[in-house]
Amino acid sequence: MKKFLTVLKFEIGNYFKNKSFLLTTVGLTLLMVGVVIVPTFFMGGSKKADAGEDTKNTLAFFDEKGYLGNPKEFEQLLPQYDWLNCSEERELKEAVKSEKAEAGFIVQGETKYTYVVENRSMMDNIQESFESGMLKSYRMKTLTEQGIDAGIVESLYEKPLQSDTMILGKDSAKNYTYTYVLVFVMYFFVLLYGQMIATSITSEKSNRAIEILVTSANSNSLIFGKVVAGAVCSLFQGGLILGAGVASYRMVRSAWNNRLDFLFDIPLNAWLAFILFGILGYLLYAFLFGMLGALVSKTEDISKSATPVTIIYIVAFFVAIFGMNTPDSVLMKAASFIPFTASNSMFIRVAMGSVTAAEVVISVLILAASCGIVGFLAAKIFRFGTLMYGNPIKFSVALKKIREK
Amino acid sequence: MRLEVKDIHKSFGGKEVLHGISFSVESGSALGLLGRNGAGKTTTIRILMDVFKADKGEVLLDGKKFRPGEYRIGYLPEERGLYPKKKVGEQIAYLAQLRGMGTKESKESMRRWLARLEVSEYENRLLETLSKGNQQKVQLAQTLVCDPQIIILDEPFSGLDPVNSQVLEDVIQEEIQKGKLVIFSSHQMGYVEEFCKDIIIINKGTTVLSGDLKNIKREFGNNRLILSVNDMEHEELHRNADQKWGSLVSVYGHNKEQLILEMKPDVKKEMILSALAKSGLDVERFGDYQPSLNDIFVQVAED
Repeated sequence: MKKFLTVLKFEIGNYFKNKSFLLTTVGLTLLMVGVVIVPTFFMGGSKKADAGEDTKNTLAFFDEKGYLGNPKEFEQLLPQYDWLNCSEERELKEAVKSEKAEAGFIVQGETKYTYVVENRSMMDNIQESFESGMLKSYRMKTLTEQGIDAGIVESLYEKPLQSDTMILGKDSAKNYTYTYVLVFVMYFFVLLYGQMIATSITSEKSNRAIEILVTSANSNSLIFGKVVAGAVCSLFQGGLILGAGVASYRMVRSAWNNRLDFLFDIPLNAWLAFILFGILGYLLYAFLFGMLGALVSKTEDISKSATPVTIIYIVAFFVAIFGMNTPDSVLMKAASFIPFTASNSMFIRVAMGSVTAAEVVISVLILAASCGIVGFLAAKIFRFGTLMYGNPIKFSVALKKIREK
Repeated sequence: MRLEVKDIHKSFGGKEVLHGISFSVESGSALGLLGRNGAGKTTTIRILMDVFKADKGEVLLDGKKFRPGEYRIGYLPEERGLYPKKKVGEQIAYLAQLRGMGTKESKESMRRWLARLEVSEYENRLLETLSKGNQQKVQLAQTLVCDPQIIILDEPFSGLDPVNSQVLEDVIQEEIQKGKLVIFSSHQMGYVEEFCKDIIIINKGTTVLSGDLKNIKREFGNNRLILSVNDMEHEELHRNADQKWGSLVSVYGHNKEQLILEMKPDVKKEMILSALAKSGLDVERFGDYQPSLNDIFVQVAED
């Protein structure tokens, strides 16, 4: 135990003596705080809601034959835009080209038009708005011709409904953003620290420090010391940066008008799930990376050998990202019990879906057991692999040799 | 303390590399562990230190099973190993702590040993910035920093200039006088002869020679004489010897231009001396054969 603690102290010290570790931690923390607090200096005073005070977009239309009826009446149908009534098709195209108008509509019939736009963006609802206006205009005209009071009919269509939302479980929409961000953070940390652990082990092989280390302490202390040191430092680094962000947001929340709540207002249970599953997921992958480091002799060979594990993790990551849209789907439910994907999936289910305490406990137990098994394997492979030099050792070969012992 | 290695067998991947190695060392003396490259020296050392487990055989200390973890062992591997990008003092202290020293104690000892080996000025330098010889000395400091009871040195003199070699010599002698148990592996036979009371020569995983060095030398020199003649090469001398003195001696070998003659049974040195005098040859050197360890090694470890 004492040796493990000695190794742990040394490895943690290594991280903190590493200039880039310190710089990134401090830098990101300050950046986080800055991004949250500094804009508030420029926002002071205005407490009015912004809706409605945004500048309106301008749309152009060219209705040669007057299909839309009275242009002014049409413009009032869609008051959320400023309208530019063009007398020529060329005028309309120029207006769109010169950005005087966001887009233009050439009306060619009561129910036919051409949409003119410079670049069609992916989220374009201008066309939709125009269509609703055009359709409304057509309805009113036709109904009036039929002798039906268009106004009454319109009001029937446009009757506003009253509604209240009662969320029994989670508001997925609200939690989406921070869950997304935190899953990314988890992904990033696991890969970063995993690589660092593998590199640390391999370089001890290539500079032969391992010869001394392996005769001074047992290999369990060595590998567990490294992995746990990584866990401690990643917790510290992540905790500092995220904590700084959340704490500073708490301070200036009112200045932001609660607008960044979707990002920073993270409930306690989500935090706990993030930390718990984050650590377990990290341990699982860290041990895998440690194993890889032990099977390789040169740091250049690490990325090649690490490919299988990296791919597994990326797949797990994508499963999580896609699953985020349907946190209670069968896919997510299954994924939250498979050790490789559990850390991401279970966290998402806790944050965005509904999950029972029993399920959480079972998943934690499965994950913890997997960590134990992988850790045990990693220690054995570490012991065996660290004194073998040359080409990267195949995992299957390593397993066979351990069983021989 | 008496360390005994008994009949160690070890295989790797189905191939046996050690076929029954046995030797013993006592504290206050040094054992020379010798062998050609690939003979099995490092494997033996690793088994000693419990890095590998032997397939058969045992290692005893004072009659009981040897548990390396219970003793402070200083190990200088042939493949030097330390962190190139860390400060010298820091890593030595860390390695001392790993071997059981307290934090404060490790720092004090580290400074003491850096001073003893005359490399104190590099305490806060990164290891890779030092010259090879100084790195070697740092490695030595690492070996001795935990004040080990058992010291295993694998090629400690490689890379050291004559002055530094002297420093190391003195240090090793000191440790031996202090009663430490020293195992010394080297190809530099001169040093081995100087320090070691006992030797063991391993070749292809078997012991080919072991025992007290003085006795071994005497045995190898027993009944043997060297002879060299001016202006005559040893091949010619060899022919001469066979033809003229075949009843008295047989040619055992040669050492450069010196012929090594083995006296036949009941033959005395005086008889050969008179035969030489009668031959009229211009004798350059004649005397008892005192083989150097190098000579012995080459003889027993040749393919």
